[in-house]
Amino acid sequence: MISRIMTCKEAIENFVRDGDTVAIGGFTTNRKPYALVREIIRQGRRELYIEGSGAGGETDLLIGAGCVKLMVNAYISNGAFGNIGRRFRRAVERGELEFEDYSLDVQPLRFHAAALGLPFIAVRGLLVESDLERRWGIPAEKYRQDPKLPPAKLLIRENPFNPGEKLVYLPAPRIDVALIHVQKAAHDGTVRIEGPAFVDVDLAMAARHVIVSCEELVDPEELRREPWLNQIPFIIPSACVHLPFGAHPSQCVNHYDYDPEMMHLYDRACRDDELYGRFLDEYVYSLKDHGEYISKIGPDRLGRLKVGEKNYVENLARGNGES
Amino acid sequence: MKSKQAQEIMYTRREMMAVALARQIKDGMVCIAGTGLPLIGATLAKLAWAPNSVIISETGIIDGQMDQLPTSVSDTRFAYRASAWWPRYRYCGFIMRMPEKVDLGFLGGAQIDPHGNLNSTCIGDYHRPATRFTGSGGANGIATNVNTVIVMRHERRRFVEKVDYVTSPGWLDGPEGRKRAGLPENKGPVVVVTTLGVMRFDRENRRMYVSEYYPGVSPAEIADQTGFPIDVSRAVEADPPDAGVLELLRKRIDPDHLYI
Repeated sequence: MISRIMTCKEAIENFVRDGDTVAIGGFTTNRKPYALVREIIRQGRRELYIEGSGAGGETDLLIGAGCVKLMVNAYISNGAFGNIGRRFRRAVERGELEFEDYSLDVQPLRFHAAALGLPFIAVRGLLVESDLERRWGIPAEKYRQDPKLPPAKLLIRENPFNPGEKLVYLPAPRIDVALIHVQKAAHDGTVRIEGPAFVDVDLAMAARHVIVSCEELVDPEELRREPWLNQIPFIIPSACVHLPFGAHPSQCVNHYDYDPEMMHLYDRACRDDELYGRFLDEYVYSLKDHGEYISKIGPDRLGRLKVGEKNYVENLARGNGES
Repeated sequence: MKSKQAQEIMYTRREMMAVALARQIKDGMVCIAGTGLPLIGATLAKLAWAPNSVIISETGIIDGQMDQLPTSVSDTRFAYRASAWWPRYRYCGFIMRMPEKVDLGFLGGAQIDPHGNLNSTCIGDYHRPATRFTGSGGANGIATNVNTVIVMRHERRRFVEKVDYVTSPGWLDGPEGRKRAGLPENKGPVVVVTTLGVMRFDRENRRMYVSEYYPGVSPAEIADQTGFPIDVSRAVEADPPDAGVLELLRKRIDPDHLYI
């Protein structure tokens, strides 16, 4: 049987190129593939395009480390631990990031279209400004010229099957690499997400390459006993990396809660350029790999995040979200 | 109803806002709420007088029975004993396909105009803003398809004649605006709960008016903090929160003061 197992370093070296369009699974503070993202930063990838929807600190980290050129997104936040990605905010305000905004009920449909091999999807909504196509988002000219983007921007047109009704036609994204952190994967690449799937299965089916990191690396036979519980078959992923706590500091159902200490630390660091540089040094660049990161966080702290029956840590100290 | 006793109870403005939000929810209503004050209001209503109300998150969580306050819409606390947690595209389909199943959606923003058009994207030019915010989240789809309750800090710079960017459509330019734009015309903003009171929209001209002012606030103060002319002729004083409701807020819903 073919093995998809790689180290984190190998997976990023092999499948993430400068200029790639990257889509990241999970949602804000839940099952974010932080370990894969930190390795991308360590390897110094540049000019990435991001296709996001419920982005969190992991996307903010990529932007803050200077890896991102363009982002199509709907939302970026760490919830009560930081209600906006401040590196994203700063990059936009400084004119350092090209961007286009959608809504959380539109981006997943674009991903779904891409996963189904459809060139576009038509939605109701977004019909706010009459010159939306011209005034908003990435210029139409760039869409025509940049091979990384779909061939055209959104179009507002009449529904051919219901004359008089206006619809917004959205191009399906072209995704080079999907990054997904899951609870269980097998050596062969079979994947089982235990907990909410968010957009992850569509990202996996839409991307040219899928890098999966997992909490537990299991025997394929374990997952193949109940194939109906698996979302991604072994023929899809390009690489499978065993990274326990690979979603830290976000949550991972059946394993651990989010880490308020790290969330608050990030929120403080991302407000200031110098602090942020030191944060990146301390938690990314100075650490050789995910193993060193986990050692740095330490078993005691990670142990306290282990979820109970309710799938979160009851009475977890979460501090003041307004800080 | 205002009892003498209730008037002597101390409470903060944010607690008053949470209660004003909760009062929009009657038993059996289905609401889409994000974390923060909207979720606190929705939870309060569910615990206090609307046990059969249903809370939905834009991440696809249906009817969570939260016993600890979530910090985001993807927090597993939001999904405790929920009926379902859909993949995201199911929620997208749900809100387009069967919006009649939802009574209210809760939104917040940085700027609002007299017709309830809401900006949660940026201050200044879209491409090179002076201040950038998090972006729509699920707000545009909610504002498009269902009636909404909007939470705002009541300041002149936020209540403006024209918003810098329309993230979420209100009544656009008035009674015919949504129809002309191709949006569902019978849905739109119904209430704005602010730091000073409760605003509603006139049925005829779809403009915001002052419906209630909180105890300790005057209609004149609201007009002064609003950057466009606003009708105060229908304004009445809001009932203060009662002790039982405040106890629920402080001891049961947000004991760690994450949001209030």
